[in-house]
Amino acid sequence: MAMLAPSAVILGVFVLYPLGRAVWLGQQRCDNFGDNCVSQGFGQYLDLFRSNEFQNALEVTVRFALITVPAGVIFGVGLAVLADKYLRGIGIFRAVFSSTVATSVAVASLMWLFLLQPSVGALANVGWFNSLFPSVKSPGWLQDPDTALWAVSASSVWANLGFTFVLVTAGLQSIPRDLHEAAAVDGAGGIRRFWSITFPMLGPTLLFVMIVSSTRAFQAYGEIDLLTGGGPQPTNPTTTIPYFIYGQNSPIRNDAGLQAGAAVLLFVMLLVLSGLQLAGIGKRVHYGD
Amino acid sequence: MQSFDQPSAAGRIGRYALLCLVTFVVLFPIYTTVVAALKPGSEVLKNPLLPTAVTFDVLIEAWNEGRLGRYLLNSFVVAFVVTIAQVITSVLAAYAFAILEFPGKRAVFVVFVATLLVPLEATLVVNLDTVDSLGWLNSYQGLAVPFLATAFGIFLLRQVFLTLPRDLLDAAAIDGVGHLGFLRHVAVPLVRPTIGALALFSFLGTWNQYLWPNLVINEADMNTVQSGLRLLSRSSLSEPNLVMAGTVIAAVPIFIALFVFQRQLVRGLTAGAVKG
Amino acid sequence: MLPSLHARHRGVARRRPLLRLAALSVVAGSIAAACSSGESALEIDSGADPVQSTGAQGGTTGTAVDDTGSLEDTALASTTTVAPLADFPACPTDALAAATTGPIEITFWHGMNDVLEDSLIELTDAYNASQDKVKVTLQNQTGYDAAIDKFIQSSADSRPDMIQFPEYSLQTFAQSDTLIPIGACVESSGFDTSAFLDRAIDAYTFQGVQWAMPFNVSNPVLYYLRPKFEAAGLDADVAPLTLEDMRATSQQIVDSGAATYGWVLDSGPNSGGGWFLEQWFARAGEPYADNDNGRSAPATQVLFDSASGVELMTFVQDMINDELAVSIGDNSGGQDTYLKLIDPAADGAMTIGTSAALGGVLAAIDSGLAPGLTGADVGVGPMPGPSPEPGVNLGGASLWIVDGKGDEKTAASWDYITYLITAEAQSQWASQTGYVPVRSDALDIEPLLTTYAQDSRFRVAYDQMVAAVDGDTSLAPVLGPQREVRVATANATAAIFNGADVASTLAATVAQANALIASYNQRN
Repeated sequence: MAMLAPSAVILGVFVLYPLGRAVWLGQQRCDNFGDNCVSQGFGQYLDLFRSNEFQNALEVTVRFALITVPAGVIFGVGLAVLADKYLRGIGIFRAVFSSTVATSVAVASLMWLFLLQPSVGALANVGWFNSLFPSVKSPGWLQDPDTALWAVSASSVWANLGFTFVLVTAGLQSIPRDLHEAAAVDGAGGIRRFWSITFPMLGPTLLFVMIVSSTRAFQAYGEIDLLTGGGPQPTNPTTTIPYFIYGQNSPIRNDAGLQAGAAVLLFVMLLVLSGLQLAGIGKRVHYGD
Repeated sequence: MQSFDQPSAAGRIGRYALLCLVTFVVLFPIYTTVVAALKPGSEVLKNPLLPTAVTFDVLIEAWNEGRLGRYLLNSFVVAFVVTIAQVITSVLAAYAFAILEFPGKRAVFVVFVATLLVPLEATLVVNLDTVDSLGWLNSYQGLAVPFLATAFGIFLLRQVFLTLPRDLLDAAAIDGVGHLGFLRHVAVPLVRPTIGALALFSFLGTWNQYLWPNLVINEADMNTVQSGLRLLSRSSLSEPNLVMAGTVIAAVPIFIALFVFQRQLVRGLTAGAVKG
Repeated sequence: MLPSLHARHRGVARRRPLLRLAALSVVAGSIAAACSSGESALEIDSGADPVQSTGAQGGTTGTAVDDTGSLEDTALASTTTVAPLADFPACPTDALAAATTGPIEITFWHGMNDVLEDSLIELTDAYNASQDKVKVTLQNQTGYDAAIDKFIQSSADSRPDMIQFPEYSLQTFAQSDTLIPIGACVESSGFDTSAFLDRAIDAYTFQGVQWAMPFNVSNPVLYYLRPKFEAAGLDADVAPLTLEDMRATSQQIVDSGAATYGWVLDSGPNSGGGWFLEQWFARAGEPYADNDNGRSAPATQVLFDSASGVELMTFVQDMINDELAVSIGDNSGGQDTYLKLIDPAADGAMTIGTSAALGGVLAAIDSGLAPGLTGADVGVGPMPGPSPEPGVNLGGASLWIVDGKGDEKTAASWDYITYLITAEAQSQWASQTGYVPVRSDALDIEPLLTTYAQDSRFRVAYDQMVAAVDGDTSLAPVLGPQREVRVATANATAAIFNGADVASTLAATVAQANALIASYNQRN
């Protein structure tokens, strides 16, 4: 149909064809300029997956996701529940909590870069804090291999807070109030009501948030590019998979074949990740009434 | 308001206190950024918490020498074009999937939706090649064309088109109005809120792109705001106040836009979430 | 994005799906973990020829010594694999005079920032204004690596007419078939390079062909704060020259309390981590890579895990362990070492940095960055190294002409290049930026004449370069994937500075570098 044509052309040329080509390219090796590619067989995918660098990047990416996704969900839900009361001026608080939706990756990362820079940043200049956490001052949270990933995660969680807040708030508002009322009449306190009613009813929302957040975590590039450049040497604990492929110090920068292969592996992992979440949690999630 | 919902006075104070604390935490990075953006160079190494000196010169410098003004324009043009295009292509395709019948419709739809699962990283290298061979590096086309259609928009609008009452369609058929006419005069006006949500979603998504502009743009003037910020942060390492000023300039338009379009924002973000 | 799910259960979400998910994740994770091969991604075979990578313990030391011996008296230009200029694209330098249409517009991709960019803009504006045949448009790529990446990614049409590439990319681009060797332009125009510093020209010569015109030459120098030397009872006019001197000086500084640390180190790929080993091996007269540091034929392996390498890095590691030296990490901004010198909490007294930063450092200190210090308090000395004879590898970048742009643009680019390397332009460039002029007659012209006369710090880099003893290891190593190897040596340097075992770290890094080189040689 002609109506489908525009979308079909764009999606075909810029999504499906590149994916197919990348799958093919992933089993080739090319010269530095991406030419003279030679096929090596699809075993190259397995070799790449099992290689040290990819496994390290995978570990970093999984760690990053394991920090940011639960933290994001907890804080988002916490804030939404906190602001879900008919108090005077609650609108202002809600506006503040959702404000980070307006920050892009670059904006949020640069804000946090400034905060964390040793001797200049506000979070690095607090006297009493330094004695508790010496690595804050020197070499600084972003330069200490033990804290670098946590610092990047903090920036990422903060940046995504608004998004999660807006979603969960909308989810909360769609929960019929009579459910709460009935439970209250039955003598259920606030916390009991949360776990018995609110949390389950938020199921679809939370599943969506988790899938989007974890996908984002696996695609983390901008925050690493701006905050740590791959992570303090020598262990580079902030090199996620996208940064391993496209980052500044990537060892496969000039190897189009391995880059494509790693990108396809990332695609596959995202598929598995979403599938796991949908299957593991999605089936038990409560929809509608 | 149900009585169980009203906390006691102590509870209310406690809640306000907590709200204020969280507000402080959320706004803290924004606060220090603005403070730094307004500080002249000599002050920036001193107390980052207090605006010891205020000047707008740094903002002006970021706009001019830092080229933020130009970057904002570039981002706006690209985001605008992509938004319009995504709305149009999505409306057309969604209508086709929702209302029209053709063989293999279900299979084709699955293929379309499958593209949502493909991350940008997987298509980057080849897209860069394609864009380059079309001579579109460093241009608005290169920034925009790969994103002129999106399966998310198609999915969203199809959902909503499916809810259109059948008799509207039949009435239109009887009146001899073609599909396009029906689309234009009946269907689209009815789904305007969803279109608004999609538009905002598209605009935001394109505005926030980081990796693609970085790869496509070589010429400093053609950078979008995001890749421009990266450029600024690397070329002005010794002037954090300048970088912060650039960050402020980059963020303010979106803050304003989101304030104005709050409702569309909520609708756009929740479009997939609440009901599956 | 969610496909519609049909399962509808009344009631609450149960705990079981979470457990099941956790179990699945654990299984997936263990499968993945068990799958780790322990090999580098770069060792994935990429071609028909198996490359003989050497054993980890530098088993080729014997051969290396032989190579050095046999080529000791041979001039570098006439080596075993000399490619005749005729094999490469030609440079029609007379096409400019023949051009009829209006100013030929050429684009020049460069990587100069801040003060350096300002100077380049000044020179270019002057050039554009001085004639109407060529108009140059500058495009700042923000850095050498970005310029390299963009160039590699672009197709023939989107490449610039001229580009600035750093010294470590020589082999990559010499072998790329995308550029015209500058030597061809020199020959076809009869350009006189006699006033040029031989080392500068040789640095950009690969297999006998000069590929690029050196433009901004820098090398590492020692920056130190004179007040701290004086407070320690040292002569502030005498800078330590050997590594032992560095240790003795640091000891005296620390003991006297003049500063917390003596020597401030960094380990980033664009700073110490990338070139300490290269520089010190050259200084010690030891080969860093085979095939005469990759100059006579493409290098196939690196050799820095030799006894000398272990000795060098152990020496530095000991200094750090004894708290005479401190490492501030990868110095990604390029300024952390200098900032450490004036850190009020735990300061240092000396650091090795690029001579190109001198102007910026002086300006920063003069602007009041450190209370009580002025620019005059900064001392500059030659780069310290394992031996008392001065010797530095050349750093910085050079100008390249892109092939396939047509005769007129090629000639126009050559014209602009010749302007940038006139004695006048080099004099201005060097005095404004602190780069070393590529030709000796620039010293006789203003403003450099006065700059060097008034502030001898600006000529330290120049003097140590011309004084350097020539030999086959006195030019920096040329490797295919040199940038990636420097990332590896930077990681090794950081690990060693953090206390890792020197011998095994260097051996592992050599293996990694050899894998990089093998992969490059197989594919390119």
